[in-house]
Amino acid sequence: MFSGPTSRRMTLVGVLLIFTLAVAACGSPATAPTAADEGAAGEAPAAAPEATAAPAEEATPADEDASNQVVQESSASQGRVAAGETVTSDEDVTTPRDPALQGGEYRSVATSDFVNFHPYLTTDTASSAARAQVYANGLLRLDENTLEYIPNMAESYSISDDGLTFTFKLRQGMQWSDGEPITAQDFKWTFDQANNPDNGFPYRSQLDFITSYEALDDYTLEVKIDEVYAPALGQISGLITPLPKHVWENLDWSDPETNPEINNPTVTSGPYTLQEWKREQYAIYAASDSYWYKGRPNISQQIDEIVPDQDIAYQKLKSGESDTGTITPENLEEARNLDNVTVYEWWPAAASWSYIGLNMRDGYPTSDVHVRRGINYAIDKELLTDEVMLGQAKRLCSVFPETSWAYTPDVECYPYDPAKAIAEFEMAGYTYDEASNTMLTPAGEPLTLRLFFGPNTSQTRELIAVTVQDFLRQIGVDAEIQALEWASFLEALDAAEPEWDMFVGGWRATIEPHIMYTIWAEDSIPDLNSVAYINKDVEALFDEAGKSYDTEFRKEKYAEIQQIISDEAPYVFLFFQKAWSGQNNRVQGIQPTPLGIGWNFEDWYIRADAGQ
Amino acid sequence: MTRYIIRRGLQSIVLVFITTLIAFSIYQIAPGGPLQFLDDDPTSSSVDKVRLERLYGLDRAVPIQYAAWLTGEDWMPQTEAWRSGQCLNNPAKCSRGIVRLDFGRSFSFKGESVIGLIAERIPATFTLGFASLVLSMAVGIPLGIIAAYTRGRWPDNTIRAVTVLINTVPDWWLGLLLLIILGGYLGVVPLGGMYTIGDGSIPDRLHHLALPAVIGATGGWIGISRILRFEILDVLSLDYVRTARAKGLSRWGVVTRHVLRNALMPFVTGLGGIFLIFLSGSLLLELVFSWPGMGRLFITAVNARDYPLMMALFVISSFLGIMGLLFVDILYSFVDPRVRYGRRA
Repeated sequence: MFSGPTSRRMTLVGVLLIFTLAVAACGSPATAPTAADEGAAGEAPAAAPEATAAPAEEATPADEDASNQVVQESSASQGRVAAGETVTSDEDVTTPRDPALQGGEYRSVATSDFVNFHPYLTTDTASSAARAQVYANGLLRLDENTLEYIPNMAESYSISDDGLTFTFKLRQGMQWSDGEPITAQDFKWTFDQANNPDNGFPYRSQLDFITSYEALDDYTLEVKIDEVYAPALGQISGLITPLPKHVWENLDWSDPETNPEINNPTVTSGPYTLQEWKREQYAIYAASDSYWYKGRPNISQQIDEIVPDQDIAYQKLKSGESDTGTITPENLEEARNLDNVTVYEWWPAAASWSYIGLNMRDGYPTSDVHVRRGINYAIDKELLTDEVMLGQAKRLCSVFPETSWAYTPDVECYPYDPAKAIAEFEMAGYTYDEASNTMLTPAGEPLTLRLFFGPNTSQTRELIAVTVQDFLRQIGVDAEIQALEWASFLEALDAAEPEWDMFVGGWRATIEPHIMYTIWAEDSIPDLNSVAYINKDVEALFDEAGKSYDTEFRKEKYAEIQQIISDEAPYVFLFFQKAWSGQNNRVQGIQPTPLGIGWNFEDWYIRADAGQ
Repeated sequence: MTRYIIRRGLQSIVLVFITTLIAFSIYQIAPGGPLQFLDDDPTSSSVDKVRLERLYGLDRAVPIQYAAWLTGEDWMPQTEAWRSGQCLNNPAKCSRGIVRLDFGRSFSFKGESVIGLIAERIPATFTLGFASLVLSMAVGIPLGIIAAYTRGRWPDNTIRAVTVLINTVPDWWLGLLLLIILGGYLGVVPLGGMYTIGDGSIPDRLHHLALPAVIGATGGWIGISRILRFEILDVLSLDYVRTARAKGLSRWGVVTRHVLRNALMPFVTGLGGIFLIFLSGSLLLELVFSWPGMGRLFITAVNARDYPLMMALFVISSFLGIMGLLFVDILYSFVDPRVRYGRRA
């Protein structure tokens, strides 16, 4: 099925082998800098003999700590993005997968259904997952071990010396499911549609940094930006999921009533094609023969069933009716001991983390830095992490979780110390009355702080709230807890004159640290920056870091930011979470990495001796 | 009677529009909105929110939004204050208003027609609702009769105690418990869903329907058996019943020919309401049993503050309510020939 392009690809692979071996030795497999592309500084090496795929990516970390180590080292030893550089893929993407592993059916459950397959209308995670089945995405992708961008649908990319022009060479031979080639024109056309303000792409502002997006020929894309922007490479390569121009240009971009491709895509590029979708019931996908990355995926058919109740979803996993299912933290221990299920666990590169936000606005007790530090010392975060998360989380000390390359260990972690907590409150003018265990304000009143939270299904926020209340009680501070329905909670957070001193919050970290700038920017008050943290130094540091491609330089800036924020304590950082997934033992080929387990889904296979 | 029905019908329609005005205002006042998800997303900016509000016409004054929902926006002045951005860009996307039976496009389902989304869900909800109703009557009516005839003795006491007990337990919790025990551990019923994917035969569907229908029916047992017991006892104490017995009619003959017929009459009045409750779908039961009905659609709509979808569901349930009441009135006149309408002299 890949007869045409295979020979060309094999030559390329051969050319690049030398570099792969050299780089693999340094521990970073796939991003081999070469000069195969036009406009690059070096010269193309002579052709090497026939080659097989480089085995370097097999290096699965033995445990999570080691994997973090790998991430940190590689980012330290090798720059992520460098101006004036060309990176070409050495990956064999045309040899089909082992036919012996092909076949079988994978059944999964999801708690909510997706909206549709349109990449530029939907915003929910279920829709992104469904879309990834049928539409290939990513000029580049993150390497699952090093977390560096490596060529994907583009076989090479280069960055101009000024760091403002990005040129991508698409792989030739990629096809839509109707046999038409996937070209740069498809990317360009899709970009234009997404970028049209009338077309309703909810995140259109993410494209604002791009000043021009052009197809120089069918296989070359040139993207320009007007100033150096650290996340540029990742965003350019990921924001456009190409749609088949030859089909879509005659259809309405956003109207599912007149454009059947939105709900029932027939011309696709992904590993699977949609067979049948019954809203709120199930979707069935069949392996696609025309998938560009090593052809047909191993598993022939997927059935995704919608099971809104997570307890029932777990029962389906237990009974074997489904190959996967939701495992709540309470069920985790039992699930680990199930005979027919393997629980895969990993510390995600984009970890979710929890915090207590402290109101920094004037007039609130928490506007005093000593009060904020006092609260930090008063809470035993280790104990809280264990009690609330049952060991499925790690203590967080900083704006970036340990799994981020931007993390620095050199920050004040505020260990549990009630005496220090009281001392900090006293520095702020409070007096602690030991006899009655009461913290008295400078005016002589007992101190009461209001703590808000929006309940979630797994009760973690509620548990955090009551645990924090307990700890504060021990230093004589009364915390008044208020639970609000989610929309009301968000409204209360964003109120002009908030009625809270503290709230229980959470963020999902991004792999690219610059994105977190917005939660500390004055412009984001009150939406994202609900605590009203204002520090121009921090903003300047984020700006500087965001305008450089030099990872070392950026790490220094992020370290400084983390120190300042830790010092000023606008948040009580609590913990970041582990991730896990239960899969039936008949499903094989799963490798947890900081990116999770889904990154190599096409290589998963159903054990031959397993019954259907 | 026809005149009565027409008059009642017209009154009810006016009533629906007044309630829609109230519902529309409440939905707008409630915290949050269809674009709130953008607020706490670090990857979006406020520019996006402003642009989308314009596109969907959410930036217009609430009375204008209501007028557009009611009567359509295609006839409105071609200005930003009156028409949504979508309608200004493309006349084909102007809403035509509920008076022209255009329920609009859903926000959360990104332009999907609201009426299509609801139509998709109706068969599932009606199947479950109807099955539950039949089962609740099939069990509730005999229970009521037995209880009445054994008043004060153990069968009556048992029936009353058990139905109260079942009623105190939330149906979704009972459903979840039974589903985990019967489905998860014993494997005698399927773990939710309407049918086995790829099967869908009648026996398979009945197998899937059994447990949710029984659980759905439990809510009706107490009401039906209690009302019926009370009515039967009431009728039993009347003179004509004693007369019938005295004339030598069998006990069973008295029950079927005299007592039940009269005792059922007030019961039928209540049926309209019960019928409606079963048809509008049980939110939590549908969640537990993965049942793709209107209850789940409503939850999605409310969580996303999907105004067009919420309003459509509201109008349809109001409409069903009126139809239910009219139906009861008509049925009532058949059960009791003394009841005639519009002959007030």
